[in-house]
Amino acid sequence: MPTDAPAAAPRREDPVLKSARREALIVFATWILALAYTIGYCGRYGYGRKLEELRYVYGFPDWIFWGIVVPWGVCVVFSWIFASVLMTDEDLGEDPPGTEANPTALADQQIQDPGAC
Amino acid sequence: MLIAAQPAWGTLTALVLFILASMWIGVLANRATREGSFMKGFFLGNRGLGSWALALTATVQSGGTFMGYPSLVYTHGWAVVLWIAGYMVVPITGFGILGKRLAQISRRCGAITMPDLFRERFASPALGLLASLFILFYMSFMMVAQFKAGALVMKIAWVGSDSWSEDQNVGRYRITEAGLTRLAGNSVPTNVVDALSPLQDKVYASETQFAEEVRGELSKLKPAPSKEQAAVWVHRIAVTSELPDWPYIIGLLIFTVSVVGYTLIGGFLAAVWTDLFQSVMMWFGVVIFLVLALHSVSLLQQKEAAAGNNPAVAQMNTLEFASRRAIEKTSPDFAFGPGYDGRHEGRAFLPASLAFSFFWIWVFAGLGSPAGIVRIMACRSTVNIRRSIYLLGLYNAFIYIPLALISICGRVLIADLPVGKTDDVIPMLAMKVTSELPVGGFVSGLILAAPFGAVMATVSCYLVVIASGLVRDVYQRFIRPLASSRELERLSYGVMTAIGVIAVVTNLHPVDYLQAIVVFSGTGAAATFAVPMLMLVFWRRATVPGMVASLLCGAGTMLGAYYLGGVLGWGSPLVGEATSFRPYFLLGLDPLLWSLAASGLAGVGVSLLTRTCDEVLLSKYFDPQPADAPVRDEGVAEIPA
Repeated sequence: MPTDAPAAAPRREDPVLKSARREALIVFATWILALAYTIGYCGRYGYGRKLEELRYVYGFPDWIFWGIVVPWGVCVVFSWIFASVLMTDEDLGEDPPGTEANPTALADQQIQDPGAC
Repeated sequence: MLIAAQPAWGTLTALVLFILASMWIGVLANRATREGSFMKGFFLGNRGLGSWALALTATVQSGGTFMGYPSLVYTHGWAVVLWIAGYMVVPITGFGILGKRLAQISRRCGAITMPDLFRERFASPALGLLASLFILFYMSFMMVAQFKAGALVMKIAWVGSDSWSEDQNVGRYRITEAGLTRLAGNSVPTNVVDALSPLQDKVYASETQFAEEVRGELSKLKPAPSKEQAAVWVHRIAVTSELPDWPYIIGLLIFTVSVVGYTLIGGFLAAVWTDLFQSVMMWFGVVIFLVLALHSVSLLQQKEAAAGNNPAVAQMNTLEFASRRAIEKTSPDFAFGPGYDGRHEGRAFLPASLAFSFFWIWVFAGLGSPAGIVRIMACRSTVNIRRSIYLLGLYNAFIYIPLALISICGRVLIADLPVGKTDDVIPMLAMKVTSELPVGGFVSGLILAAPFGAVMATVSCYLVVIASGLVRDVYQRFIRPLASSRELERLSYGVMTAIGVIAVVTNLHPVDYLQAIVVFSGTGAAATFAVPMLMLVFWRRATVPGMVASLLCGAGTMLGAYYLGGVLGWGSPLVGEATSFRPYFLLGLDPLLWSLAASGLAGVGVSLLTRTCDEVLLSKYFDPQPADAPVRDEGVAEIPA
């Protein structure tokens, strides 16, 4: 495989990259769980039933309530836990000086005349 | 004549106030962006978005969804709640996966737009250009759908609900000679066109009646067409026979002028601030609306209980009552998947395989949405990203579930709308449930401000993305790199105005089924960008050819599926939404799933087969950087093609 193998010393990774990757994995897992439950439950109880069997929970058809409304509530609670406990704060850094995103006196001149860049 | 109907003054007043407020916000935003450079200020709001602005504006809350989703619930019933269910995880996936790294990388390379990000991260102008072309393509589709929604709200405010919806003397369809000629040129066989001649010049008020008579004539053909074929023809004939709708056209003009106006004035920040303002309005609108709709249903319930002397009805939960009445008015299918089939043509709106697909669609549409990505790039800090997650979680739960309940009530409260005209259900219902209130017109205006606001917000945001794509990523980058700030400013304004004009022209004949277009551009952008964004952000080994392969294979698979389904007519037209704008569902799954697989395989495979990116470049984005010494671009510009 034509790859630039890392040097003997393990490469130090950006801390934001590390925490972002960990959080992304948690999020993907959450999504898969939610998908498996909701589609599984609704696929089983939301299709091919007779109207006489249908019960209502707080006015919702039972399969909507247990298959969608309840997990939706769980997701809202989990998103709060995820955002306040599992996800870490990081320093995002600054725009490089001298670009349009962070123009300084010097940079303004460069925008007028990008040849100077 | 339709236009002579009495305008609903209260509603109009509320909408006009709302438009003026949005304009005023545009002016404020304009002042705020005057600090710093025009480009970063106008297109990125100087990276200062707080939690609320980020949460309520960065994900796919388009007017299409606000108008189209209730229309679907009204048409197909409870199954549509399963259709939208993926939104339960969208707040976490939308910000939790890409958010942090995206914000960081865009700062490290000073990216203002999404193509900037592609170009700088890989030091490849060609990759940046490819990204901008795709963005322009999908965004243009999305815009078209939004303008229709905006125009509809204005129109209904203008003509009022009663005078308009229930007036059976209003002609909506007429088969003319010119229409027949156009049909013949539009790949409808001559014998079909000839079969329609007995109906020529008759005027129809409702689509149902029109479709029935057309179907009747078609069934006389020998050999009689199949159900699927007849459905396709009836649809085409209806489109060519629709009469011009003046209130709609006026609504379209008012809407376009106001939204292009305030976006021109304030740029990105105006788009975001008005979006925030409108999202908050939308929330209040939905809550008030839900209360009023349930109240109207409960009045009906009491009346029925008193008339039938039926205590069971009186004690029933109001929502359950609404649900039961809706089922009686339609069929038991209204309560279950795959959804009620209002045209009785054998349509399966949401087979389980599509329900599964939509759980992917909403999540990846959020990940790959260019408008959403730009907003994350503009956020202030990780604290804002974190807060946005639960703010949006709460917000979504209180928007999408109540909207479904409102639409279920709508099925009971509003006389059956013709299939194909159900995009109007929210505006009509708003007029209906407020008609008894003392200042009902004004209240309905406030409610209508919600979908109207959602549409305006989406449009203004896309205007900014499209204009930045054309001006910055194409013009400044490839045509005139030396353009002055003043020139770019003028060009940005010109582009936005031109987009407004194009949108009006393309919408004079409105597209049917808003949601189909929203889904196309959403899934298309997702198919194209979701995997490349993940590679860009997380994968050190990703290469330029790998990214190009991933973009092209994702987009190619999606467009291919629409070509097979929409143009060549593969697959049954009786799956999914009733529209000729549909993809081919291989194995019953949405093409997005196949596109993601193709995009992922191509991206990873080609990256592994090609030479890795320059180490200096990679180090800039993947290794820790001293905070006080940001790396400049020098020396990392070469990349093996």
